[in-house]
Amino acid sequence: MAPSTVSSASATPPPSAPPPFTLFDADLTTAPKPFRNPHAKPPSRRVKNAKQIISDEAKRLTSIDRPGAVDQPTYINVEAPPSVLPRKWWCDVTGLRAPYRMPGSGMRYHNKEVYEVIKQLPPGVDQQYLQLRSANVVLK
Amino acid sequence: MSHRSTRVQTPTGGAVTPIRPPKVYSLPEPPSPAFITPYTDYKAGVPIVLDLGTWQTRVGYSLDDTPRLTFPTQLARYRDRKILRTFTLVGSDVNLDANTRQAAKSPFDGPLVANWEYLEAILDYAFVKLGVSSDSKVDNPIVMSEILGCPLSQHRSMQELLFETYSVPAATFGIDSLFSYHYNNGSTGLVISAAHETTHVLPVINGRGILSQAKRLNWGGHPAASLLLSLVQLKYPHFPGKLTPQHAEMLIKDHCYVAPMSYADEVDHFLDRDDNFDERDHIIQAPFTEIVQPTKTEEELARIAERRKESGRKLQEQAAKMRLEKLIKKEQELEYYRAIEAKSAEVSQREFTRILEAEGFDDDSGLIRMIRNLEKSIRRSRKQDIGEEESDSEPQTFPLLDIPDDQLDESQIKQKRHQRLLKSNYEARMRAKAEKKKEEERRKAEERQDEEWRANDLEGWIKSRREQREQILQKIKEKKRLKEELNNRKSLASQMRMKSIANLASDTPTSSGRKRRRGGANDDDDDTFGANDDDWAVYRDIANTSDTEEDEEMAATVRKLEEQLLTFDPDFSLDNTLDAQNDWTNSLIHAFLRGTRPFDPSSRAEAHQVHLNIERVRVPEVIFQPSIAGLDQAGVVELASDVVLRRLPTKDASVACNDIFLTGGYSLLNGFDNRLLHELRAVLPVEMDLTIRRAQDGILDAWKGMRKWVSSKQNISKMLTRKEYEEYGPEYIKEHDMGNMALV
Repeated sequence: MAPSTVSSASATPPPSAPPPFTLFDADLTTAPKPFRNPHAKPPSRRVKNAKQIISDEAKRLTSIDRPGAVDQPTYINVEAPPSVLPRKWWCDVTGLRAPYRMPGSGMRYHNKEVYEVIKQLPPGVDQQYLQLRSANVVLK
Repeated sequence: MSHRSTRVQTPTGGAVTPIRPPKVYSLPEPPSPAFITPYTDYKAGVPIVLDLGTWQTRVGYSLDDTPRLTFPTQLARYRDRKILRTFTLVGSDVNLDANTRQAAKSPFDGPLVANWEYLEAILDYAFVKLGVSSDSKVDNPIVMSEILGCPLSQHRSMQELLFETYSVPAATFGIDSLFSYHYNNGSTGLVISAAHETTHVLPVINGRGILSQAKRLNWGGHPAASLLLSLVQLKYPHFPGKLTPQHAEMLIKDHCYVAPMSYADEVDHFLDRDDNFDERDHIIQAPFTEIVQPTKTEEELARIAERRKESGRKLQEQAAKMRLEKLIKKEQELEYYRAIEAKSAEVSQREFTRILEAEGFDDDSGLIRMIRNLEKSIRRSRKQDIGEEESDSEPQTFPLLDIPDDQLDESQIKQKRHQRLLKSNYEARMRAKAEKKKEEERRKAEERQDEEWRANDLEGWIKSRREQREQILQKIKEKKRLKEELNNRKSLASQMRMKSIANLASDTPTSSGRKRRRGGANDDDDDTFGANDDDWAVYRDIANTSDTEEDEEMAATVRKLEEQLLTFDPDFSLDNTLDAQNDWTNSLIHAFLRGTRPFDPSSRAEAHQVHLNIERVRVPEVIFQPSIAGLDQAGVVELASDVVLRRLPTKDASVACNDIFLTGGYSLLNGFDNRLLHELRAVLPVEMDLTIRRAQDGILDAWKGMRKWVSSKQNISKMLTRKEYEEYGPEYIKEHDMGNMALV
């Protein structure tokens, strides 16, 4: 006998549900926009990722001559510097204290029980764990 | 759609059972979108306040107390191929259906605007919903938020957008956290703003932000949600439900908290099985559908069991019959070959060789081997039959067998043939019985001996038993190690395996070759492979499969030995047994993955559960130790103490410490202020007074601050007017207390 599936969601919507609205109601493309200036010409390049924006900004900042540049806040120099405190290590799997390091992958682990687990991780998963703290091997 | 687990189970181990069922939280669902009717009371000339955040956008007039519109900064473009139409949905409307929800995107990449087309659509949406109806322009001054140290290209594009596309009369840009501080009546203090993408530490002196001393940490609610999502996905790689970044965001809001003193202190005993474990371990139930198994009545079950038993019995009978027939055949064969062997004494050597050749043997050693093999297999099959012996105690008689054929009629001859079969059958059984009896006696004698040994020399007996157990455990360990090594291509075990495979596949196996080289005299091909049982392991090794039968056998032997040790060895307790050591109740990983209760893999509800325990502290901890998430930046405490101790003049620093101000959505994390106070107290001088306060509303106060700022008459003149824009160009920055500095 085949098992029958019973959905846990109720079949009829609750009576107090708001009146449904459709994609057509919500569509912004057709909504009237009288406030837009019809004569404005859109700029050419409109998509740039953060990396490009930052490198363009860095280029711009080096190209202009700024007296007292150290005191002036830019997107690049307000970035927090690396920590000078000694780094603490935590288990990559559990997040507990990690006194040990797996040779080979470099994963940090808490005790021998976690070691048993990370020893048997499927290939590639150790790199996924390391990726969480940007310590994975990146092949170029 | 949450299903609460109400089953109470008893663990298999000896741990104390938590009887109370655990508290189960249901996975929060994103709110379903409601249609927002555009406002009709358009107020021309009144400033519009636009807090354009990476998480939420808040829009309203400066006359309003709270923003009229609050929606997530996201957009979905979805093309319906059937009706050839592209829909553009903004804000919470993207949740309308599954297709658009999947297509939802943010115009931001990190804290910066990456897609201006999307951003324009979002502004369109805001103005449409506000009901802006002025012709060819938005006839309102705009106050807008901007990131600290905004790249000029971003500032320029935003000004261009406002002044060209929307033709606004005036606009101004400012830093959201400064506006929030402004709203909360701050004048000199240290603003710590933990927002969706970034965290800023920003000193303010006399109402003016000291931007040159400010620092930005690239961590906030969004990267934290991504981290939590990845952690949960790695924790449950086969999780059947679907977890989205939105879920992760809500889980952080509802379940995460900042460790009050230090992360290490908090997590050290986090997975201990004490009374408060259930409070620390939050179980999140994802929606699932229950599979209902049709239940059978007792009568049906009984009938099925009966049927099963009956067919089993039939099968057993058939098998027994077949075995017996085979046994008889083998016995006959044995007799036949024995007769041939006996002939060797009677006939000449040549004649005997001829007979052997006729039987298909090369020489007499072949015959002897055949006899030996038959004997062995007969003995084995007799042993197997032990236990299903019928109790026919009285000896059977077969009278017809003694009468020669010529004295019998046809039916009697038939009967005689039958009786002959019965007789050999009967004899075989008798022999098996005798064998069994002997075996039983041998076993009993062994037991007696063992008992005697135990009585005379308990210490020695225990020692030997322990040694036996140790040996098997060693063997199990060795097997496990070998299996692990086989996973590594370069390990010795893998290389040995490859060697065996190559050897077996080659035409001239090295084992015989070596023998020839070594001895030379022994040139028959009959090597002794197989004489030792361990030789066959080579096939198992090269097949690289786990031998569960053997594993089970070893485990059973260990269990038996442990049983004996438990009864007779006073130093051997239940805790020392292999089962106790492998018991999940002691396992840290089980507590981490499944909590303190046993996990039932067949339960749909439990398969759809996520246990959040250490993650609850681990994810918020990143803002204090960014290295956890691989960020090479100083934590918020280090940044703040650096600003106070090194970057600010001492006089201002002690005043600023008196008003450390927390704002931004991510700063609402439970316990964030207390932890900050605790850590700062530890690094700052004793004579500095420390006060930490939170914004009245960490999320809304930036908007309210912008509203407050623009409501003041003198600030209106600080806005960039259309005339100024046309004169100075889109890159012009008009400085004010809340805004970024112009760098030229």
